[in-house]
Amino acid sequence: MHMADALITPAVGGVMMAASAGAIGYSVKKVKEELDEKKVPLMGVMGAFVFAGQMINFTIPATGSSGHIGGGILLAALLGPYAAFLVLSAVLFIQALFFADGGLLAIGCNIFNLGFYACFLAYPLIYKQIIGKTYTAKRVTIGTVIAVVAGLQLGAFSVVLETVISGVTELPFASFVLLMQPIHLAIGLVEGIATAAVLCFVLKANPTLLDGYAAGVNINAEKAVMPRKKVVTILLVAAIVIGGFVSLFASGYPDGLEWSMEGVAGTAELEAEGNVHSAAEGIQERTAFLPDYGFKNGDESSAMAGTSASGMIGGGITLGVACLAGYLISISKKKKYNAKPNNVSQ
Amino acid sequence: MPNLTTSLNKIRSLEELSEGTTAIHRLHPMAKMITTIVYLVVVISFDKYDISGLIPFFVYPILLMALGEIPYQSVLSRLLIALPFSFFAGLSNPFFDRETAFLLLGVPISWGMLSFLSILIKTVLAVSAVLILIATTPMDKLAAQLIRMKVPRIFVMQLMLTYRYLTLLISEAAGMMTAYHLRSKGQKGIRFEHVGTFMGQLLLRSFDRAERVYLAMKCRGYNGSYQFAVSERMGAADALVAAVICVIFVLMRLFNISRIVGSFFG
Repeated sequence: MHMADALITPAVGGVMMAASAGAIGYSVKKVKEELDEKKVPLMGVMGAFVFAGQMINFTIPATGSSGHIGGGILLAALLGPYAAFLVLSAVLFIQALFFADGGLLAIGCNIFNLGFYACFLAYPLIYKQIIGKTYTAKRVTIGTVIAVVAGLQLGAFSVVLETVISGVTELPFASFVLLMQPIHLAIGLVEGIATAAVLCFVLKANPTLLDGYAAGVNINAEKAVMPRKKVVTILLVAAIVIGGFVSLFASGYPDGLEWSMEGVAGTAELEAEGNVHSAAEGIQERTAFLPDYGFKNGDESSAMAGTSASGMIGGGITLGVACLAGYLISISKKKKYNAKPNNVSQ
Repeated sequence: MPNLTTSLNKIRSLEELSEGTTAIHRLHPMAKMITTIVYLVVVISFDKYDISGLIPFFVYPILLMALGEIPYQSVLSRLLIALPFSFFAGLSNPFFDRETAFLLLGVPISWGMLSFLSILIKTVLAVSAVLILIATTPMDKLAAQLIRMKVPRIFVMQLMLTYRYLTLLISEAAGMMTAYHLRSKGQKGIRFEHVGTFMGQLLLRSFDRAERVYLAMKCRGYNGSYQFAVSERMGAADALVAAVICVIFVLMRLFNISRIVGSFFG
């Protein structure tokens, strides 16, 4: 669910970048306060671990598909939320630069979608609350799975919002939400179980590595009763928050579902309208180079069709000239190499 | 497994590329960062139906990849990762936006097809622009510029350390994978019930490595802050180059080059 540059507008990218930069700045401050110089190399290695770990796919029984560990909650459970957020941001940055996984202008969106919700909402409000002070395998498992699922749900919803506000795609809000949330529920469950398995292993092998684990408290850990009430309450609150959040925005599109159904039937006039979209258009108009650059009006479309022929010819010629220039440069470079008498490769 | 080794090769080949000596490599890192960002902003700011305005922007990756000696295949392998999400998100456009824009040789072209095409073009352009930046600028030089831009040291350090240890941990994981597969004959992938022990094992090894890294850093005088190479300031010539390129991008955004060129012929 890494956002691509092509799907957002500069305004959306900029706003999300500012939000993520703010969260990074705050995390830097918090990590510095801890003053643990040992943590710095550990953070670097953990970033590399999550990176490598996500490349290892596990086969999911009876489905034929595969999954991998999740990043945010795992890092937060080991390093604490602030350090985890920094590590994850760095990982996303490197993924964008070296693997084209997520765009460079969309980096703010990706840091927010994949890092912010997991580290600053799901981790402290769900994982930490469920585990409390006594770390048992059961609590770690339940806390991790719910936290990973909730974090991914919020992240997926964020992807939908960013895409719809940008208005680059025609995806209607309601159907996009109905597509994204269930898919990420499945992904979240797999990632959550995988992450929980890793954390349980750490709990058995070396529990002091876990964030917030205090030796001595866990003497009666096995006897500790699962705070069922607490889990239910947290689940309920999470559901209400996520559900309320979704429906709040969905109400801006009262005819969203109806509209998408009409779209399938192919009867209605199809254009995204709504509070979020028009607000975004307002921002866009103010930031765009050419504010009145709308082609969609009927009068202009015929004019557009007329000029599009020359546009296509011109585009073709420009492309052709560029390719020729590129080819000539490559040829001349190769010649230069071959001309060199002391070329090592020969 | 191919996943791990191909990623490893990708990082290594990008690192090798970035050590070249072409004019593009010699350009100041800051100049390249600025032009890349301006290019990306200009490209994605295009209206979703404006194809002819976007096409001239191919000039930048084509020329720079030729000048910077970056193999064209590397764009393709990156597109394999970047394209699927854009593709599926954009695929809805031809279905929902079906008004005819114009006829192309008698075939009606809808607005949705145009906006879908523009998403794909924007993806290709954005992916190649970032590739050009990273394939002509070593990571440590980029990091030095980030420090100059007042990005917090601890974050830049995070970037550098993650990047450095990435190759090490990938080969560590690849080694574990080989061992695992040798012990599980005829089995594809790693079974889900082994995720805890396998990844947990890799995690413990990573912690041990971090400990050794810390001790090694300590032996070399590490005191909580990482020393970065002092970066050169951007010279007047490099600043001028960056400024000229950026102005060209903005002009290309304001004036539709395709139509201007086309009007001479059509």
